[in-house]
Amino acid sequence: MSQYLWKIGGEAGFGILTTGTFFSKIASRLGYFIFDYIQYPSLIRGGHNTYNVGFSDEPVYSLKQTIDMLVCLNKDTYTFHKDKLGSGSLVLYDKDEFEIVDSVIKIHIPLKKTLSELKGQVVMKNTIALGASLALLGADIAVLYELLMSQFGRKGEAVVNVNKQFAEAGYNYVLANYKEYIKPLLVKRENPPQLVISGNETFSLAASVADCRLYVAYPMTPSSTVLTVLAGWQGKTNMVVRHAEDEISVINTALGGSLAGVRSSVGTSGGGFALMVESISFAGIAEIPLVIFLAQRSGPATGMPTWTEQGDLLFAVHAGHGEFPKIVLAPGDNDEMFELTIKAFDLADIYQVPVIVMSDMLLSESHRSLSKGLVEKHMKEYKPNRGKQITAVDQSPYLRYRITDDGISPHLIPGAEGAYYQSNSYEHLEDGHTTEEALDRIHQVDKRARKTQTYLKSHFSPPKIYGDMDGAEIIFVAWGSTKGPVQEAQRILQGKGIKTALLHFTHMFPMDKETVLPFFNKEKRYILVENNSTAQFGKLLRMELSVDLKETILKYDGRPISMEEIVNFILK
Amino acid sequence: MSTIQDFTGYQPTWCPGCGNWGIGVAIKSALVQMGLSPSSVFVSFGIGCSGNMNDFLNAYASHGLHGRALPVAIGFKLSNHKMKTIVVAGDGDFYGEGGNHFLHGCRGNHDITAIIHDNSVYGLTTGQVAPTASKGYKSKSTPAGIIEMPVNPLSFAITQGATFVAQAFAGNAPHMIETMKSAFQHKGFSIVNVLQPCVTFNKINTYPYYMQKSYKLGPDYQPNNKVTALGKALEFHEEKFPLGILYKEDRPAYHEHLPQLADSTLVSQSKPKDLAGLLGDFI
Repeated sequence: MSQYLWKIGGEAGFGILTTGTFFSKIASRLGYFIFDYIQYPSLIRGGHNTYNVGFSDEPVYSLKQTIDMLVCLNKDTYTFHKDKLGSGSLVLYDKDEFEIVDSVIKIHIPLKKTLSELKGQVVMKNTIALGASLALLGADIAVLYELLMSQFGRKGEAVVNVNKQFAEAGYNYVLANYKEYIKPLLVKRENPPQLVISGNETFSLAASVADCRLYVAYPMTPSSTVLTVLAGWQGKTNMVVRHAEDEISVINTALGGSLAGVRSSVGTSGGGFALMVESISFAGIAEIPLVIFLAQRSGPATGMPTWTEQGDLLFAVHAGHGEFPKIVLAPGDNDEMFELTIKAFDLADIYQVPVIVMSDMLLSESHRSLSKGLVEKHMKEYKPNRGKQITAVDQSPYLRYRITDDGISPHLIPGAEGAYYQSNSYEHLEDGHTTEEALDRIHQVDKRARKTQTYLKSHFSPPKIYGDMDGAEIIFVAWGSTKGPVQEAQRILQGKGIKTALLHFTHMFPMDKETVLPFFNKEKRYILVENNSTAQFGKLLRMELSVDLKETILKYDGRPISMEEIVNFILK
Repeated sequence: MSTIQDFTGYQPTWCPGCGNWGIGVAIKSALVQMGLSPSSVFVSFGIGCSGNMNDFLNAYASHGLHGRALPVAIGFKLSNHKMKTIVVAGDGDFYGEGGNHFLHGCRGNHDITAIIHDNSVYGLTTGQVAPTASKGYKSKSTPAGIIEMPVNPLSFAITQGATFVAQAFAGNAPHMIETMKSAFQHKGFSIVNVLQPCVTFNKINTYPYYMQKSYKLGPDYQPNNKVTALGKALEFHEEKFPLGILYKEDRPAYHEHLPQLADSTLVSQSKPKDLAGLLGDFI
């Protein structure tokens, strides 16, 4: 089946987020792959919220634009989104609240009347509408009841029953009045179990699996849910989660944890990351492992806090004064977020460097299906690779910054008897003491730089190819979360007889020129796709590879690039 | 038993007569008398003349960024709360650049001792005014005299939740050692503000100045009363400098509130075995 898009909209503060997540979980429990996306203003009450869920019997990489079912909890929802309706799209609304004069398929649901009859609170409108939606898709309402039980069961049976009552009212109203519009699109099917999980939650899960024991953050959209999720899990993970006073304290606290030998991490968005930059440089020279989760939003400055952008790539790559090695990774979906986050913790320890894991609002806050089996496999099998971390002195005297061929020095966990050393932000001798001698300076700069060479040889991964590069006439080039829309566009273009390939980068920096350059030597039409206005990855490719991509699809209005925009660019 | 020699690193580069010499010896003496060794102490140094002690004091240490010694110490303490953790920083570093961390460090009552070298100037950058300088103090960066009121670190610490607040004078080694030992022994956030002449750049707050204007709190002084302690701390604005423990209270340290750390330090724990329970939220 092709993707089906369900969209619900209403006033902020009235439970849209919960209802949308419920819809995703129900579709997933019924054996479908999902992808959802929330749009909301930077407000708590008032303003317009929408929640979009796409589901299909095959993986959904990105949401299509045409709405198949639009659930309007208020008039704005209809007004703002009616231009995205297709000819067969259904519009659910309450004619007692507002009129629709256009010739669309109108499904009247008596939200107001039901509320007053059953004496419900306004948020129950969502539940009625959810029940009605499920009826129209031929779903078994029992799946919603099970979900209500698992979500609200701890609040008591009464709460569950109230919700059930309203869901049932919506469900039965459709069965009684709109039988002709019911399509069996959400009928239970067999599918390996999937998690309905956001990018931030995936990062949180991966950090827990990777044995991160100290997470420090200051709330900043769209990274904040990592802090709240990990804080809520402390009883199960034994992680220490600290909400510090500012981002400078955040990163230095985490560096203190790393110095003590504990896997540590921080999470933030652009503005908070900017405050951390001096300390990234400290981690660079003092060779302190750290994983930094950077969830981008539309900048600059406060920008558009709840909207998406890939505007911080070059900032991340260049973050920190002076010259030192760091690693920047950018997962494109939840599978990569899970696996690369775990890899990031290993890399930070192995190379004793800051590792930045880049996300953005689209990846951080959208739920997608993530194979439960994949996660469980890692939970069972993963063992941290701490690199050259040691707990007892390996040679005397112990030299924290010992010159080695691979650039990596043994890292003694403080507390070992008979030794001591300092981690020094000043240039230093092998033993950690401060120096300003020319030759010692050169030795240490070169030693640190060798870590980059070792990384490129041992852990750098070239871009992944989706499609057949040789058979394709168009090669898309993308990084991070733009992977999804390109993959969906590839499906559409394939259907129109246009062969394409996608070159998707996750290991952003440093980049191994010899490995990557051959991907760009084909006589093909290369098109760079980025969610920013200046084609930052294009600049990085010029800088690192002297490759100049002329054709670009760029979007910077705060919204993710859609598959239709990419397809239209090709077909225009 | 360790000795002063065990803690002694490189020959200091401080100016002859600088108060740092006395503070350096006092810290080492206090650590020795506490039975600690260079392998059992973590020191987080700030940046400045005081921070340069990193090369002169042997210990597990971090010489980090200007203003950021305290958060590094907090992260270390959370990860290995059995290790004695000390911050060594100057007044510009701790009360200026790192002022926000000072505030929240007091609130958190982290089990850390901060030894703050208070000489009212930025020595390492050649004598600009520090936040503790008296109003009107003339320096290279304030040729017409500083307009701001001085920071009062003692009253600040007392009101913001520090559980051990003391003052010492770099010219009185025995008293400094005793005060530092008490601070090291205290469980919770302890601060020792050390009045320290800068013989090169500060011609006002000299050894004779402090000898004349400082006095030791007597044996009758009870440091358990916040209001009395605050009264003592405010004498600073009349150029009177009480020496000793102004305020002390017992309150659980930050890490003692964390059930994760009840049985062992974070660094010594084994990986949690069963995380499968986390997946229920996503089904």
